[in-house]
Amino acid sequence: MFDDDAVERVVRYLRRSVRIDPALDHRVMEEIAALPAGPAVPAGGVWRWLTGRRLTLTPLGALGLAAAFVVAVVGVWRVRAAPDAVEPALRGFQFVLVEPHAANVSLVGDFNDWDATRTPMHRTPGDGLWSAVVPLEPGRYRYAFLIDGRLWVADPTAPTTRDDDFGAPSSVLTVGGL
Amino acid sequence: MMRASGYVVLLSLCLVAPFSRAAAQGDPRLERLDEATRPVVVALIDTARAVGLPVNPLVERALEGAIKGAPGATIATAVRRLAADLGRARDALGSGASPVELDAGAAALRAGAGPDVLTRLRRARGHRPVTMALAVLTDLVARGVPIDTATTAVLTLAATARDEDLVDFRRAVERDIAIGAPPAAAASIRVNAAAREARPGRP
Repeated sequence: MFDDDAVERVVRYLRRSVRIDPALDHRVMEEIAALPAGPAVPAGGVWRWLTGRRLTLTPLGALGLAAAFVVAVVGVWRVRAAPDAVEPALRGFQFVLVEPHAANVSLVGDFNDWDATRTPMHRTPGDGLWSAVVPLEPGRYRYAFLIDGRLWVADPTAPTTRDDDFGAPSSVLTVGGL
Repeated sequence: MMRASGYVVLLSLCLVAPFSRAAAQGDPRLERLDEATRPVVVALIDTARAVGLPVNPLVERALEGAIKGAPGATIATAVRRLAADLGRARDALGSGASPVELDAGAAALRAGAGPDVLTRLRRARGHRPVTMALAVLTDLVARGVPIDTATTAVLTLAATARDEDLVDFRRAVERDIAIGAPPAAAASIRVNAAAREARPGRP
């Protein structure tokens, strides 16, 4: 469509240095100053409404007003203080085990004080997939799966502990942040 | 090599524990231990607390032994050994180490890392937590990476890598091992790749 010379000329034109008149700013400000002023803001009416009234309070009304003020201040303080009071964020971790022949599976570990009743795993209907979600703070956790209340199995997707002191394997999960 | 304070912890656990008063007796979790084992474990935990070690990992280790049906003597031995490792980890990482760092440090020691490795990792991480670096080191060893290779890899990455980078590194090594790579080669190749990526001025 365009030959190289034409393209080159357009590029040169667009790249040329442009001089701006040093008096441009001054001229722009003069134009603005010459514009007619806009409509006045009708603030006087509100001020008259506020200042033209006399408010009288009964002792009971004053007490109620003071109580409302205290409630508002405490409420604001609690809202502002809340983020500082939050514990380290918990993250939900999903644990999964494929065990088609199990009747029940429990997730047992440091996060539930090795109590087999606290984290039963749920079976997905139709297959042998067992899963549980556990909220965890940053830390290092040993855990294992307990199948049918008698067989200990380490998590095949996680590293196994080196210090297997008890003859049944455990896995390790480390949650970063501390 | 265990430093002097490590020996003190170990000696305390062996000598003082049998005679210490059972402050941990009040921990209801320990009621799951049998009557013969409980006082021994409670004494060990009280002694560990007295020397400023975190006690929750010790309680959890005892509970793990109990639910797995381990004999009382085995549970006591495991708790005693973990307490000694926590003490050695504190010697290596410094008294300011968090309980989670000490726990990770104890595991790394058990995996075969020397106390000097923990100290070097602490130095390399600066003010950042050293937990994940220690955990990755331990996990690599658990996956079959020789301790020397794992140590070199983690020390190489520790100074600049974020926790997420360390986890990504570990996962990459695990994937390579899962598809048949020798663990040592997988760790070496991945750490070289990570180091190249982190090198400033790369194209």
